[in-house]
Amino acid sequence: MIAQTRAELLKLRTTRTMIGLMLGVFGGAVLYLLLTGLLIKPEGLAGKQEQRAFFTVEGFVELFSALSGVLLVTSEYRFGTIRPTFLFAPRRSKVIAAKLVASLIAGLTLGLVGEGLAFSIGYLALRGRGIPIALDGAEIAQLVVGALTGAAVWGALGVAFGAIVRNQVGAIIGVLTWGFLVENVVFAFVPSVGRFGPGSATSAITGLTTDHLLAPSAGAVVLIAWAGSLALAAVLLTARRDVT
Amino acid sequence: MTIGDAIAEPLTGIAGPVSTRSDAPARARAAVGSSGSSVVQVESLTKRFGEVLAVDNLSFALEPGTITGFLGPYGAGKTTTLRMLLGLAAPSAGRATIFGKPYAEVAHAALRIGAVLEATDFHPGRSGRDHLRTLGRAVGVPDMRVDEVLRLVELEDAARRRVKGYSLGMRQRLGLAGALLGDPELLVLDEPANGLDPDGVRWLRDFLHAFASEGRTVLVSSHALAEVAQTVDRVVIVSHGRLVVESSLDDLTARVGASVIVRSPQLPQLLEALRSENMIATETNDHALQVHGATREQVGDIAFAAGVPLHELAVEGSSLEEAFLELTSETAS
Repeated sequence: MIAQTRAELLKLRTTRTMIGLMLGVFGGAVLYLLLTGLLIKPEGLAGKQEQRAFFTVEGFVELFSALSGVLLVTSEYRFGTIRPTFLFAPRRSKVIAAKLVASLIAGLTLGLVGEGLAFSIGYLALRGRGIPIALDGAEIAQLVVGALTGAAVWGALGVAFGAIVRNQVGAIIGVLTWGFLVENVVFAFVPSVGRFGPGSATSAITGLTTDHLLAPSAGAVVLIAWAGSLALAAVLLTARRDVT
Repeated sequence: MTIGDAIAEPLTGIAGPVSTRSDAPARARAAVGSSGSSVVQVESLTKRFGEVLAVDNLSFALEPGTITGFLGPYGAGKTTTLRMLLGLAAPSAGRATIFGKPYAEVAHAALRIGAVLEATDFHPGRSGRDHLRTLGRAVGVPDMRVDEVLRLVELEDAARRRVKGYSLGMRQRLGLAGALLGDPELLVLDEPANGLDPDGVRWLRDFLHAFASEGRTVLVSSHALAEVAQTVDRVVIVSHGRLVVESSLDDLTARVGASVIVRSPQLPQLLEALRSENMIATETNDHALQVHGATREQVGDIAFAAGVPLHELAVEGSSLEEAFLELTSETAS
């Protein structure tokens, strides 16, 4: 299992995919932090709630984490490397488990990039404009832990979803549609249901207190339930299905 | 870089790295002995895709130290059979075992069994060497062995380049390198000659002979018998998912009445020797002898006994190929 995880991490390091995703997070976060940090009126950045959204870069790192997970699985199906991978590790559940672990690490890495930028560029932007930091130490700690956990878990969600869908384009479209559209729409119109979505659950664990959002601890349980059930489905389906 | 450079001494170039473990033949025999069966055993294997029977009650076995050609036209069910053998697809009925067990249950399967199913199973953005490292990492094969197999398949110059720039022949050899990472006792190759130039085909043939001469076993599929006729010593021919023939190549040759082409600087003496053994031999118009209804062994032995040097000894491909086509179309009706 450790050997397989090392193999999966090596796969992540030996193509340009991970670098590309990091650059995506870097560019997107810098752009967001500069635009929001410098252009929004001071009162729009003064409150705790606004600063939480600001310092978590609106949760967009999670989508990149999910993409890294999706690509770690679906590129194997797309390019056929899944065949040698399974020949070298005939217990497929071990491969999926190793990919889940590797994607937690990849997601965490992307989260560190995002939060590192948020608390450097974002912090400087607020300070430069004389906007005081409204969050206390404990709230910032919760935000950072929540954002990093969210980024890591979304990597695993991506692996599980990718293993279920297998088709690369389909899985990417699925993740983006869910992240940008479905969850937001459901939360906006049926918040009592929408708050149980993985994105809303992630917002909850960073300490966001938007109406209808779950409490942080409940959010953590929901997020873990999502990851656990999707991972289980991924393992079962991967074991059952023929590799063509 | 061409593989032709190293072909000058193919066997010395190959035999060394192949036998990194000198106990390989002993291991192969021990493995067979311990399970009390063949290296590969396919029993009543069946695969159904909806209404279509891709593999239909197929049975055959592989003995250690043999090179078996798994032959049949495209769509005969060869690849589906290999997928089931290698645990990538589940049989609808029957079973396929290696060393007495289904692939997934063979201990250290990746080290004992090397397989290539598609020549293109690489991430285009990853270097050949890194591809092998990711595979090796999963089963504890050190990077040193990666460099060793890269040398063995003569890809070391391109090893750090990304696979997207590789020719099909280079990809075939990279796939083979992956199969050899674990220093396996059994090699399973699906259409390995596709995309190889004539030098490459010859290199592969020499390589497989050296590999099998150490007591290891090879299963190599092809849609064309002529492509592998000089490589294999046994054939398993399938058509429409069903077994048509399982025999040694020489038996098949004798059975279909094919001929052996033989060349020698002392043709008259050879002709005399063959005729004295009641062989039907005729001189062809390109200074060779065509011996009808004989095997290569028979002709070679007679030449040796007569002290005549041989410059070529081959089963005539075309007639064997015709027989192959006949055999595989017979079951169609």
